[in-house]
Amino acid sequence: MISVGVVANPASGRDVRRLVTGASVFDNAEKGAMVHRLMAGLGAAGVDRVVMMPAGSGVSQSLHRHLSGRTGHLAAQRLPELDVLDMALCEDARDSAAAVRAMAERQVAAIVVLGGDGTHRVVAAHCGDIPLCALSTGTNNAFPELREATVAGMATGLVATGRLGGDGLVRRAKRFRVGVNGDAVVDSALVDVAVTADRWVGSRALWRVEAISEALVAFASPSAVGLSAVAGAVDPVPRAAPFGLYLSLAPPQRAPRVVAVALAPGLVTEVGVLEARRVDPGQVVALAARAGCLALDGEREVELGPADRVTVRLVPGPLVIDVDAVMAGASRLQLLDQATTRRADDGNHRPTGPGHQGAAPGLVPHDADHPRVRGAGAQGVRHRRDPRVRPPVCG
Amino acid sequence: MARVITFQKAVNEALDQEMARDPSVVLFGEDVAGGQGAGGELDAWGGVLGVTKGLYHKYPGRVLDTPISESAFIGAAVGAACSGLRPVAELMFVDFMGVCFDQIFNQGAKLRYMFGGKARVPMVIRTMWGAGIRAASQHSQSLYSIFTHVPGLKVAVPSTPYDAKGLLISAIRDDDPVIFFENKVLYTVEGEVPEESYTIPFGEASVVREGDDVSVVAIGRMVGMAQQAAEQLAADGIDCEVVDLRTTSPLDEDSIYETVEKTGRLVVVDEDNPRCGMAADVAALVAQNCFDDLQAPVQMVTAPHTPPPFSGLLEDLYVPSAEKIGEAVRRTTGGRVGARA
Amino acid sequence: MHKEFATGEIPGFVHLYAGEEAIATGVCAHLRPDDYIASTHRGHGHAIAKGCDVHGMMAEIYGKRDGLCRGKGGSMHIADVDKGMLGANGIVGGGPPMNCGVGLSAKVRGTDQVGVSFTGDGGSNQGTFLESLNLASVWHLPCIFVVENNGYAESTSDRFHASGVDIAKRADGFGMPGVVVDGHDLFAVYEAAGAAIDRARAGGGPSLLECKVNRYYGHFEGDQQTYRAPGEVDELRRTRDCLDAFAGRVTAAGEVTAEDLRRVDDEVMALIDDAVAQAKAAPEPDPADLLTDVYVRY
Repeated sequence: MISVGVVANPASGRDVRRLVTGASVFDNAEKGAMVHRLMAGLGAAGVDRVVMMPAGSGVSQSLHRHLSGRTGHLAAQRLPELDVLDMALCEDARDSAAAVRAMAERQVAAIVVLGGDGTHRVVAAHCGDIPLCALSTGTNNAFPELREATVAGMATGLVATGRLGGDGLVRRAKRFRVGVNGDAVVDSALVDVAVTADRWVGSRALWRVEAISEALVAFASPSAVGLSAVAGAVDPVPRAAPFGLYLSLAPPQRAPRVVAVALAPGLVTEVGVLEARRVDPGQVVALAARAGCLALDGEREVELGPADRVTVRLVPGPLVIDVDAVMAGASRLQLLDQATTRRADDGNHRPTGPGHQGAAPGLVPHDADHPRVRGAGAQGVRHRRDPRVRPPVCG
Repeated sequence: MARVITFQKAVNEALDQEMARDPSVVLFGEDVAGGQGAGGELDAWGGVLGVTKGLYHKYPGRVLDTPISESAFIGAAVGAACSGLRPVAELMFVDFMGVCFDQIFNQGAKLRYMFGGKARVPMVIRTMWGAGIRAASQHSQSLYSIFTHVPGLKVAVPSTPYDAKGLLISAIRDDDPVIFFENKVLYTVEGEVPEESYTIPFGEASVVREGDDVSVVAIGRMVGMAQQAAEQLAADGIDCEVVDLRTTSPLDEDSIYETVEKTGRLVVVDEDNPRCGMAADVAALVAQNCFDDLQAPVQMVTAPHTPPPFSGLLEDLYVPSAEKIGEAVRRTTGGRVGARA
Repeated sequence: MHKEFATGEIPGFVHLYAGEEAIATGVCAHLRPDDYIASTHRGHGHAIAKGCDVHGMMAEIYGKRDGLCRGKGGSMHIADVDKGMLGANGIVGGGPPMNCGVGLSAKVRGTDQVGVSFTGDGGSNQGTFLESLNLASVWHLPCIFVVENNGYAESTSDRFHASGVDIAKRADGFGMPGVVVDGHDLFAVYEAAGAAIDRARAGGGPSLLECKVNRYYGHFEGDQQTYRAPGEVDELRRTRDCLDAFAGRVTAAGEVTAEDLRRVDDEVMALIDDAVAQAKAAPEPDPADLLTDVYVRY
């Protein structure tokens, strides 16, 4: 029984950037639709069960509307069972944390996260080595990708069922471990850590770049949006590189270098950079002590007094499924054919195919059961109807 | 000699002159200009029957079309009136009052009183009323009695182009909320209207025909109907006095009592339905205050207790006719001619 | 108010704002005297935050002649138009259309005034609310629509009465930004309201702020709140009180001392006690007042 966890955080609409910039988020109805599409991909790849965090505010309703309204071609899709965790919701970050712990107890083989940087941050802090599929549900995110959910489901399913995996397909992301006053407060960030002069957490979002004095970024892409883009304009750091970047910022008129970046959707701003230097894994960076807020992944999280001391360290983060690499690998290994026809006619699932440990890209060991080996030539290349496709079980 | 224009033109002129005089007057409602957002003419309609045509281009930014959202824009008239404008909102057909009545009777009418006199709501709601064009039950009602009933509102129901212009100008200048009733059949009626701006005070009825035998008090389109009846009755030697109430709130009670004192006989003609209507209101006031002057019971001539029908034959039976008025007058005279003994 | 109402001396209906203070405070802090607010039946907080005189308010609640509305409005219609407070409203959903009117007035007269309406989660289901969102959008008015979602429309939970998604998301349907804000967090409300109000003032058009919050007292005074889970209110008072949260944060940040806060509390308590005493002792309205101020001139 292969299970995959799904975290679809309904905390949409809480982003004041919709008032001060051009950002938009997928609404909860769309998230429910995404989960449905995700389930279609997971099911096609052989996942048996989805363990889902209960999602209020319309996500669950939307999902159930989609599930019960499937007709025609959609009705023929094999979907995993849906198992919604029985948990009381606090309607804040604790829900995602509790859900991930519960999923780990149920031994899910992967967790798909639908959310922004904030949700991914929380999940990453509790998921251990369970690989994540990171799906963005808004325009303002750096860590998760904007990606079509069906395909993400297929890729996640291929990894979860063990048909594919390993380096290159599931990558270790970076993470910042943040301590305030030693380990008095410990938190983490997947994308960036910033110190802002804004006095209060308030509406959380960071949009006044002139208030930011220092920042660390785990990866820096010039094509990103947000602080990562500032770093990317100065010294790009790929996600795969082991190091991160530290930036010291100042008002443009006082900085030796000024870059214009998309700091938020719809907002291109000039940012003054005093200093940019690499941060190695394990290296401890002490930030200047000053009153203000510590922002993690673009959200103000911790209010700092003038005597609070912040240290940041780059450490290993969560395992993240590279959907493109997985699907490319699957195509190369003709797993997509395999994945839909691999079940024996007795309905039992037998993991087969070119292995789930580190299939080296571009080279596929032959497997005696592989139809290409087993006389596929005699049959010619043709599609076989998926014997697992059968009318959906009601209920 | 005053020139002759239609009732509709008189309304347009009142709006035009007041908007020219006072920049805080704004006009809004459904299709008051017409053509917004589309590829053709702006001010395409100037109101569904063309009453507000021409004002859109003349007063840029002060003539606004609205979505079909009476609650919102009638309520907006209340809010705008409290915050520096003199809005003239159009409730296209008074039959639509159901979808915005709270804003009128609970908000606009009551803010001044509830706030201890510290608020003013100088707004006008113009609205079309009346049967006669086969528009059927939901587009042909009168309903001014319902607004008259509400303390805090003023109600004007002009019967001629002259009254329409003067009363509307007064309504716009009035610091209280006014519901201004425009009879759709009367729009094409012509009359003498001075070119200059003028006002007609509220609470002043008009004796449109003097007579000694029977008083016929009428409202709106029924004033003309009463005058027709009076012509017919004169041939039989019954001399009617016809009084046009012009405004139902405030009501010119004195003129009503004066005419009843003079003739001793009263017929009240109202196109509205009979229960709790203006006819009953006037009759009760007269019964209480002029009982000793009455030579006969007051007669009320109204529409029946039915919705306005669609069929032309039926609608013509619905609206009080000159004949029905004549019969009512005869009932007060008991058939006697020259009844005042 | 809760205590005094229980004595039976206060006439009519009273609806208390306790628990929701951060919203009125955070929003009205950005408003000028010439901006307008349209309130709800639960309007005491809005009135105070907009600058209405507390003694006048108390006298009004007691129905006295010296009340803000000369005893003719009461708690449910408490108002001071000169201070830009267009009244508490006995009709839920009555405020948003008036808000549109304020916005229209500012726009036509070319000022940078803004209008703010407060509506409950219950009121947000009224046609007036939805029509007003649409009208404000198509006319591009400087109006902010604040929804105070305390989770209950009288006795009915928003889980039952509001269709599935955040009320803020309704704004999306009208092409207007809608943002959910934690109504217990003064700073969050202040920031979001500031962004919305600045945007409207600068000509950016209308927006919707859904402030999720809790009320402590019943829909009206006398409501036993048996529809709420046992212990729900006590738990909220303990864990989510906006005044406690505020006090904790500003003292921890060193901005204000506990002593300063105690002093403010003492001053306010004294003010309220004095207002109650004066209101109780104040004269009733004159019988002739029954007939006054129906019209400006009749």
